Formats: sequence, C-alpha cells, structure tokens
Amino acid sequence: MIAMAKIFDEADEILLLNQDTEDKAREIIGDRGNHFLKRIEGETAANISACYQCHRCTNACPVSHYMDVKPHQVIRYIQFGWREKLLKSSTIWVCLSCEMCTTFCPNEVQVAETIIHLRNMAAHSSVAPREKQVALFHQAFLESLQYFGRVNEFWLMVALHLKPIVLKEKIQTGTLTEEMALGFRLFRKGKLKLIPRRCKAMGEIRKLYRQERGEMD
Amino acid sequence: MKLAFYPGCSLEGMANDYSQSITAVFRNLDIELVEIEDWSCCGATAAHSLSELMAVTLPARNLAQAEKMGMDIVSPCANCYNRLRASQIMIQKRIFDVPWKITGKIEVHDMTRFLADPDMLERIMTRVRKPLEGLKVVCYYGCQMVRPPRITGYTDYENPQTLDRIVAAVGAKALDWSYKTTCCGASIGIGRRDIQESLTARLLDKARQANAEAVVTSCPLCQANLDILQRNETESTIPVFYFTELLRLAFEPGRASRKWFRMHITDPVPLLRIKELLR
Ligand code: SF4
Ligand code: SF4
Repeated sequence: MIAMAKIFDEADEILLLNQDTEDKAREIIGDRGNHFLKRIEGETAANISACYQCHRCTNACPVSHYMDVKPHQVIRYIQFGWREKLLKSSTIWVCLSCEMCTTFCPNEVQVAETIIHLRNMAAHSSVAPREKQVALFHQAFLESLQYFGRVNEFWLMVALHLKPIVLKEKIQTGTLTEEMALGFRLFRKGKLKLIPRRCKAMGEIRKLYRQERGEMD
Repeated sequence: MKLAFYPGCSLEGMANDYSQSITAVFRNLDIELVEIEDWSCCGATAAHSLSELMAVTLPARNLAQAEKMGMDIVSPCANCYNRLRASQIMIQKRIFDVPWKITGKIEVHDMTRFLADPDMLERIMTRVRKPLEGLKVVCYYGCQMVRPPRITGYTDYENPQTLDRIVAAVGAKALDWSYKTTCCGASIGIGRRDIQESLTARLLDKARQANAEAVVTSCPLCQANLDILQRNETESTIPVFYFTELLRLAFEPGRASRKWFRMHITDPVPLLRIKELLR
C-alpha cells in the first residue's frame, strides 16, 4: 500500500499525516470504483478520463499557489473517487472561475467547470467549506438577490458583515475598521448607493428560489 | 440603430461613472440603448458557485425580456455578458428548461466587441474632435469577457484586440503587454484579501513596466479592484479608466464630465491635465 502511495506524491503526504491506515487504504484504492468519476463526467459533460496529467492547467492557474489540491490533482482525485478530499479542499473555494485551465487544457477537460461543480456539490453537502468567508459571501449574494432581484453593493456588504462568523473573524483580525473606512471612502466618492433599486417581478424570482429548493407550486 | 441594454447591478452602484459615460458615448454615436424592461441580476459568480439551476435561470429571465422587445442585447459588464451567453447556450442545447419562452435567436453582444466592429470604429473615428495623442495606455480585458472561448466566441482569446482598436481609434497609444487577460482576483478579496492583493499588485506592476500611464478596462469589477487596491506607497499610482470615459474625452473635449473622474479612487485628473486633455 505504501509503495503505491509513493506514486501519488503530493497527495499521500496529507494522507500519511492525517489519516489512519484504514482510511488511507480506502482512499487510495477508491472504494467507489468508477462511480464518482462517472457521476461527475455525467453531470458536467467534462471529459475527465482524457486527462494525462500534463499539469498545464495548474501552470496556467493564477492562484494554484494558494490551493491545497492543485487543478490537475483535482482531476486525478476524481478519477480515484476521492470525493471527501475534494469537497474539503480549499481549492474549490479559492478558484476564481477565470477559465485559464479549461482554455489551455490540450485535452479539453473542462477543469474550471468541474471545480465549480464540486463547489456546488460541497454547498449542498454536510462538509464544512474550507474557505468559510468566501462561501458566506456567495450565500449572502444570493440572499440579497432574493429580496431585491438586483444586488446593491452596500446592502450586500451589510448583510455579509451581519453574519456572525464573518463579523467575529473581522473583529478578531482587526480588518473591520479598515473595511469600514474603505466603505466610507467609497460612499464619499458617490460609489455606494444606499437605496436599493428593486426589480418589480419579484414573484418570478422567488419562484426560482422555491424551484431551487425543490418546492412545487 | 436600437439595442436592448442590460446594465447589470454594478452600473447602478459602484460603476455609476461607467454607466453615465456609456449613455453619453452612445448618444454621441447615435445608437439608441433601450434598457431591458425590469431587468434582474444575472446571478454573477455566486449563482453558479452555489446552484447550477440559478446560474442558468437568473440570466434567462433577462434574455426573455429582451426577446419580448425584439432587440439584440448589449452588455457592458464582462461577467453579465459571460453569464447571459452561458445561459443562452444551455437553453439552446436544451440542457435546461426555463419558465420563459426563449428562442435564443437574439444576439448577446459584449459592448467592446460591438464597438470594435470595423463599421463602428469608423463611426467612432468620425466623431473624434480631440484625439488623445500622447496618452499611453494598456488595455486590460480580464477573464470573463474572453474566456472560455466556446462561450464568449473570442478567437483571439490569448491576445484580444477589441479595446486596443477602440482606444487607437480615438488617438491614444495602446501598448502591448502580456497581462491583458490575467485574472484580477474578482471578488475573492472579500474572503481572502491576500490573494486579491497579490493578483492586483502584479497587474499594476506589469502595467508600469510596460510604461503605461493608465489602464483601460471595460469590466466594473476589474476597474474597482485595480482602482481601489493601489496601496503601494513607493510606486506611482496609475489611473484606471473605463474605455467609454476615454471615448467621451475625445468626442467632447472640455465637456467630459469631471463628475466621473471624481468617482475614481486613484485620481486621473493630474494625468489628464499633463496631457492637456482636461483643463
Ligand atoms: S491541462 Fe488537461 S490534460 Fe493537462 S493535467 Fe490539466 S486537465 Fe489534465
Ligand atoms: S478557473 Fe480556477 S482552477 Fe482554473 S485557472 Fe482559474 S482559478 Fe485556476
């Protein structure tokens, strides 16, 4: 088992450190067989099996430095069926959807779309997001869209900072005052509009939200 | 000529200067922009991060509204353009169905490509009253407008030319640089300030290395990032313009609104004074 693990160099470092043997064995072999791979390929129409690990996606990625699982590894992990490891990764939240990886992949593997799909999966799973602040921002964005149909930057930031986790961290790291100063500066420049414009057809938009939650009407 | 205009949320707030300059420039060009009736947000990155369904249906509502008006859409925001196109393609391929009637027959234009069309460039050139001679800029496209090419339709996605052509048409010098389409970090700064700052600082550095006096962009989020995050005290600041602001400067010398420039965090007025483009 350990000999095998050596082949998958970066990956197993985390493995050896963090997991007991049983887990390790399961993840290396990938006890789902092809199931996870097939599922992701089916849902995203991304040709994940075509990847030959050339690292071009990772080299093109502007933020691969900040990722724990690099883009080419994401593709490999899917082939292995390592779902939890992917959903727990910071990669799926750090990715900027800049589409460099997809554009320059020689095999047309849709790397960016795959990562976004994993982010979708993580958002609907019980796995806690590794980058909470980023995840909460997306959530706050969709929430404020639900109220106005459009997004007003001022109210979005207010809603985000009212989230206890965000507020706590901003106070702890001392960035709150800094951000309020920036907000005030933007306001003085006339960049922030305090009164949100509302889309009139809110009924239609709320209906989308109900559909998203699987409610029928 | 009439076009359905999809402004997008940021043009109502942070990018109000962009919005006003677009209105002014299109009036100069005799093209009528009709705002899409009761448009709603395209969902931006948040929708496609959290739910594929929302990512397709939210833009689709605007496509349906524009189809009712029977006009092609023009979008000034790179992200809106990308989301609208992506949604349109998904619906055309019948991967998703939406509660509105969408034929997918109308076209979605991104504003820069629309204006970089040869006919339009000619029209722009005839309107120029004071060429922006001596102004050296780099054009910054960002990601969402050009990538992925199968959605945006750009063929020169590694070295796009639309903004360069427009800027050259009004007499400014568009310099060559290698960071035209490198990501500025989008909204990652809200959760991870460190990543945002490193990406933005690199772009600004490279612009300076190319000897640019200003950056020209068409994306509200790119403009905000590059304009606000000029922290480095040792380096000179570099103004970040919307391309429409430069067009207006060339079309109506003396009448280009100071109000827009006052909305910038990095003050562009000193540069424009040196270049004698503004009194
Ligand atoms: S660029 Fe494509 S083929 Fe190369 S490692 Fe990345 S996904 Fe695999
Ligand atoms: S889309 Fe994500 S993974 Fe791909 S290059 Fe951009 S940041 Fe990297």
